[in-house]
Amino acid sequence: MPAVMRRTMAAVLIAGIVALLPLPAWAGSCCGGGSAAGLVLPKFAQSMIDMSFDVERYNGFWNQDGDYLHDPPGTDLRQYRLNLGYAQRLAKRWQATASVPYIWNDTTYSGLSSRTSGIGDMALGVWYEAFDATVCRLGWDDLSFRDLAPAATFGLALTVPTGISPYDNVNSSFDITGRGFYRLDANMLLDKTIIPFGVSFLMSYGKAFERPVDREYGQYVQPYRKQLGDRATGSLAVSYIQYLDIGSSRRILTYTAAFSEVWEGESRINGSADPTSGFRKSSVTGTFAFSTLDRCWTVKASWNHSITSDGWGSNFPLSDIYSLGVSRAFE
Amino acid sequence: MPLNRIFLLLLVILAPACGNMRDDLFPSGADRRPAVQEGTIGPEVGQQAPDFTISDSLGNTVTLSETAPQFRAVVLYFTMWCPICDSHMSHMRDSIIPLYPDVRFFAVDYVSGSVAAARDAQISNGYGGSPFTVLADTQQTVLGTFHATMGTTVVIDRTGILRMNEDFKDGTRLTQVLDALP
Repeated sequence: MPAVMRRTMAAVLIAGIVALLPLPAWAGSCCGGGSAAGLVLPKFAQSMIDMSFDVERYNGFWNQDGDYLHDPPGTDLRQYRLNLGYAQRLAKRWQATASVPYIWNDTTYSGLSSRTSGIGDMALGVWYEAFDATVCRLGWDDLSFRDLAPAATFGLALTVPTGISPYDNVNSSFDITGRGFYRLDANMLLDKTIIPFGVSFLMSYGKAFERPVDREYGQYVQPYRKQLGDRATGSLAVSYIQYLDIGSSRRILTYTAAFSEVWEGESRINGSADPTSGFRKSSVTGTFAFSTLDRCWTVKASWNHSITSDGWGSNFPLSDIYSLGVSRAFE
Repeated sequence: MPLNRIFLLLLVILAPACGNMRDDLFPSGADRRPAVQEGTIGPEVGQQAPDFTISDSLGNTVTLSETAPQFRAVVLYFTMWCPICDSHMSHMRDSIIPLYPDVRFFAVDYVSGSVAAARDAQISNGYGGSPFTVLADTQQTVLGTFHATMGTTVVIDRTGILRMNEDFKDGTRLTQVLDALP
C-alpha cells in the first residue's frame, strides 16, 4: 500500500478518534470532575503530543425523570479546560498515553459569582492495536468481504484522581475539578474507512474503585466508604474526507459527525446503592480536522451539543462544548 | 532534547505539582472530626447552632431561634438548583418528609440574588407546592454560617443543638439522625 494511502487512513482514524474520545469532561462545578480528553497514537507514529482548549457552557439539566429543566434566570456556568496529552509507542502494536487537563470554573448566578481553577483528573492509558498496518480502501469497486474488516484497537485507561475533589480541603462545590476516585476503563475502538467515507465506533466500560471518605468540602465527617457507579460509553462517528490543494501542497480535511451515549450507574455508600446518583447523557458532536498530508500536524475544531429536550438524559447537566486543538505526531 | 520529550517531562512534573491531591491519591478514612466543646456556638455537630433571620421565597421572615422550638427539629438543605440538588430534594420530598411530620424542612437557595428570583427558581424547578419552605439566602449569610455548600444538610433540634452538618448523600444519615432525636 502506498505511504500516502496509509497516512490518509491514519488521518481519517485520528479524525474519527478526535470526534469520539474528547467526550464531554463530565464536569460541572455542581457535579465535579473534569477528565482528560482521550488520545490514541496513529499507526505510523512513534510519539505524539496533543493540546486542546475546551470551552464548556452549561445550559440547564435533566432531572432524574429525564425532564429538561432550565437553570435559574441570571445563571451563566462555564468551564474552560486546557488539555495536554502525550502518546508513546512501546512496541509495534502497543502504545501508552497520558493526558491531564487544567480547569477553570467560571460560575455566575444572579446572587453570586465564583472563579476558581486547578488541575483535573489525569488519564493514563495503554492501547493494543489488533492490526499490523492500516488498511485503506479507495472507492467501492470490487469490494470484497475482507475489505470491510475494521481496524480494532483495545485499551485500558486509568483515571487518577489528581483533580480537586469534594473530599479535598475545599470550601465550595465551585472549586471542584475532579471526582476523587480511581477508575479503570476498558475501551474498544473499531474503525473502517473506504475513502472518502469513514465509520468509527467506540465502546468503553469503566469501574471506579471504592475509597474511604472522611471529609466533605473541607469539613471532617464520620468516615464512610463510597464507590461511584460503573460507567458505559458508546459512540458512533461517520466521517467524510476531502483533499485540498494549497499551492503545491496537499492537505486533508475531515468532517466528522458523532452520536454519543454515556451512562453511569448508582454510587454505593457503605455498600448500599444511592438512589439519588447515576446519570445518562446523549450528545452529538461535529468535528472538523485539517491535516498535512504527512499527518504530522493536525488542527481540529469540534462542537459537542447536548440535545435540549426531555428524555435525552437524566440527572445530569446539558452543555455545549467548543474545542480547538492541535496535535503533532513524530515518526 | 526533542520537543516530544520536553512535553512529556513537563506533563510529568506539572501534574503532581499543581494539585491538592494527596487525600484523593491516598485516602485515609480516619475519623478526624474535631472535638467539640458543649455550649459553644458554631457549625460543628454538638454545638449550639448560630441564630439567623432570613426571608423565605414568599417574603415571610424566618428566625431559627423562633422556629426550632416549634418542631422536633429543623432541617436545612442547601440548594443551587442543580441536578444533584434536585435528586436530593425530590428524594427527601417523596421518601423522607412524609415520615417526619413534626420536622420542618427548609431549602436554602444561596444562588438567587433576590427573594423574587428564589421564588422563580423554586417554581421553575417544580417545588412551588412542595413541603419545602425555600429560604432566600441572597447574601450567602446562612451558607457561610454553617460552612455549607451544594447538598449540605443541617439538622438542628428543638433546643438549637446541631445534630448533623454534612452532605446529603443517599439520605440514610439524615434519617438516622432524625430517628435518634429525643
